[in-house]
Formats: sequence, C-alpha cells, structure tokens
Amino acid sequence: MIAPVRYQFALLVRSHRWIPPAVLFAVGVAFLGVAGPGSSSALAHGVDLSQGLAWSALILVPVEAWLTRAMLTAEPSAARACVAAAGGPRRAQLAALIAAVTMGAAFGLLGVAWEVFSLGVRRSVSTNSIMVGATFSDIGGGLAAALICLLVGSAIAALFNPPLIRRPAAAMLCTTGAVVLAWAWRASPANAAVRSVGYGAQEKSWPTGAALVAAIALLVVAWAVSAQVAARRQA
Amino acid sequence: MRLSLVGKRYGLRLPWVLRSVSLEIAQGALVRFEGKNGSGKSTLLRIIAGVSEPSRGTVTGRPATGYVPERFPPALPFPAREYLSHVGRMHGLAGRELASRIDACLDRLGGRELAGVPLRTMSKGMSQKVAVAQALLPRSGLLVLDEAWTGLDVEAKAALDDAVAARIAGGGSVVFVDHEPGRLAHLDAERWRLEGAAATRLTQPAVACGAADAAAAVRIEAAMAVNAPAGLAAELGAVPGVRSARSDGERLLVLAEPGSSDAVLRRILATGALHVLRVGAGPAPSEDPAGEGGP
Repeated sequence: MIAPVRYQFALLVRSHRWIPPAVLFAVGVAFLGVAGPGSSSALAHGVDLSQGLAWSALILVPVEAWLTRAMLTAEPSAARACVAAAGGPRRAQLAALIAAVTMGAAFGLLGVAWEVFSLGVRRSVSTNSIMVGATFSDIGGGLAAALICLLVGSAIAALFNPPLIRRPAAAMLCTTGAVVLAWAWRASPANAAVRSVGYGAQEKSWPTGAALVAAIALLVVAWAVSAQVAARRQA
Repeated sequence: MRLSLVGKRYGLRLPWVLRSVSLEIAQGALVRFEGKNGSGKSTLLRIIAGVSEPSRGTVTGRPATGYVPERFPPALPFPAREYLSHVGRMHGLAGRELASRIDACLDRLGGRELAGVPLRTMSKGMSQKVAVAQALLPRSGLLVLDEAWTGLDVEAKAALDDAVAARIAGGGSVVFVDHEPGRLAHLDAERWRLEGAAATRLTQPAVACGAADAAAAVRIEAAMAVNAPAGLAAELGAVPGVRSARSDGERLLVLAEPGSSDAVLRRILATGALHVLRVGAGPAPSEDPAGEGGP
C-alpha cells in the first residue's frame, strides 16, 4: 500500500493542487482564528485557546474536502488504469484517499501548533517571562477535534466526488452542502467535536469518544463506497 | 487465468457491454480480440487487466499485469523516469533492480533520452513509449495491449513486437487489440471476435485448419505480383474471416469463411499486389497451391 500512496501523494504535491486548500486553511486559521468569527474585537477581548483550537478544527472540514477533491480529480483515467492494473482499482482509489488525508493531517497538526503558540503562550510584560497557558488536555482535545473534522471532511469528499459524482458543478454543490451540514447539524461528529473543545453551545450531543467512533464509521463507509464504485463503474 | 460468465455494464440502466463471456488465457498464449468500434474490446481488455471489475461473473488467476491503455495522457506532473519509478514500485520492484528495469524498458523502445523529459511536454509518440515502457516493467506475467502500437515509430513498433514474442516464449501471456489486421501475424494468435456483447472464438490460424472446416469455405486463388511483400500471406491470414492463407511465392491460396468472403476478397484486391485467378467453393483439389497445375 505504501507505493500507491507515495505515487498519489507525489501527484498531489507535484500538481500544485494542494495550494488553494492550503491557502484557505492558512487564512482560516491565522486570520479568522485569531480575530474570531463575527467579532473583529475578539482579540481585544481575548479569544481563548480552546476557541482557537475549535476553529482550526472546524476549518479543516472544507480544507480536507477540497484536498480530497483535488486528489480525486488529479489523475487522468488512463493513468489510473495503468496503476489499477498494477495493484487493483480499489487499492488505487484508497491510496488517493489516504494521500489526501495524510496531507490534511499535516495541515491539522500545523493548525494546532499555531493555535498553541499564538494563543497558549503569552509573554508577561510585568515579569518579563513566558507563560504557557496551554495544558495537555487542551492540546489533546484540539488534536482529537482536528482528527474528527479531518475524517468527516474526507468522508464527505469521497461520497460527493468522482467516481460517484462526476459532474464538477454537482460535485462541488453537494460537497459544499455536506460541509455546511457537518458544521451546523448538532448530530454531526464534527459539530460535536468542536463543541466539546469549547466552541459555541457547551451541552454535549455525543459522549466523549463517541464522536470519534462515529467519524471513523462514516469514513469507513464513504471510502468503501468510493472504492467499490471506482472498481465497478470506471469507464 | 480464466474469465467465467463475465458480464459488464457501466450502470443499472445502461445496456450490457459484455454478456456471459467465458474464456481462458493459458501461459504462453497470444490472444487477439477483434470487433467493430464500440463492440466492447476495450472494456474486455480492462476486465482482463484487472482495471475494472465485471458486473457479473468472475475473473480468477490473474498474474502480474502490465496494461497499455488506448490513450495514454501526458498530463502527469512527473518526468518519465519518476513516473516509471512509481509504477515499478507498485509492481514490487525496488532499488537497483527498479532502475535497471526502467533503463531496459526505455532502451528497448529507443526512448532512453525520454527519462528526464516531463510527461506534460511529450508528443503523442513519446508518451506512448512511456505507456508501453510502464507495462513492460514487470518481467513476466500478463501483458494487455489496447492498440499499443498506435503512435509509435517503426523501430519502437518492431521492438514491441519482439517484446510480445519474448513474453510468450517466456511463458507469459499477451492479450491485444489492434486496428491493423496484420499485427503480430507472424505469431500464432488465438483470435476472438466481439459482437453483440458476446465473444466467439474464431478458428485458429492456418496450421489448425482441418479438412472438415475447409469443405464449407470459400476458396480464393490469386497470382502474386513481383512486388508483393514477403509477409503478405501471413498478413492475410490474420484478416478476420480468413481460415488460412498460404503461398508458394507465385500463387496464393486463401480459404475464407463463407460469411466474410466478400470482405476478404475486397481486402485481397486492396493489396494491389495480387491478381485474383479464381473464386470457388470448397478446398482445392490439392491443398498445396504449389502442387496444382496452371489456371
């Protein structure tokens, strides 16, 4: 499985298709994360670390969906056919999905690191010392939320992009709709994960851990469907 | 490897492209599929290559497979060598062996200078060499060629012919489709025809043509012009509907299927190097054209 993932990852990197989602993530995390959505004076009022972590996880849903779409549309079908002959069409499709998740995971880690260093570390003027305000539980919670959002983003894109939905307009409309739903719907694992970190209403719709299990289940189903259709319907 | 009752359609409401196709590809076999455009040749090759799974039926016993698609796109962001390295690694090659295999495959097609060229900037012929090279990376096993000769220069075409012959001799198998009727006519190919979503096996080439079959055939005798190319009989032997084609250098005797004798006759006339002497039913009094008297 390493060889096909390596090929797909190289394809994603060398095609430069990762750049637009990377820009979205950078803008989302660096700018909106610090300023806080809907509040230009959030920094003055002190956006706390948990809110920053929640925001950087949230933005990962569309970023990973975009990365996955970029990956799934990067390879001409004849090139995919050569690769599928070498290792099977399912393996080739899963390799593409794994490559996109790998890059998304790197983005997520960078996002958490950025939030921790920008919001969790403060220089105290009075004592001229550095104060670390981030606890391990903050960071762990942020990483878990980012992971859940990553998996949800990948699952969405796997379900609403080629080979399942081939027409670009329909694919992008469905993907965007699903991302909004993942954000706003209280039963969505991404929504639950972000709220459990400390963003928005605090009451929990999922017990801790259940959101992760739900996200993994969603991912497994979405990837299985995508691989199945890639093997059966590729024309 | 074996295909059992394979059926394929690309959607529930779409028509069947293939229906109940069963065939076996033995080690050392050369298999040719013929048929009109849209008869399902490419689809069947994709199923044989393992690129696409059948909607019905099973495919078992597929060895390591190299596949040359009908149209190979140059739109990949790699130089040829890097692309071939990726494909080679997927075939389980690594390190020094991978590098030497890539060199060997490119050299064979006269494309060593292509190694550092980005696929994006390649012409049709150059990228076709890369397409063939990636399929030749596995040393043995199955080779599936979907009009792989198209776009190659003469030397590379001959090199691919040789690679096919070597693969068969080495116990591998080769399955191919090509619009050129004389392609690989010098090798003993098993021919199949695709029509109406079904595959039917055509008679084997000349050597396998029995007397009983010959009885129902249309017999075409022709005199060969001085400028007739040497491989003409073999080329005609590969034309769909031809049971056998033999020549002694001066005369040519072709036995054609009754249903396609008109097409075969047209083909013979189109060569411009043959003068048709006689068309009749059944086998010649003696099966050897050299043994006959004058017309």
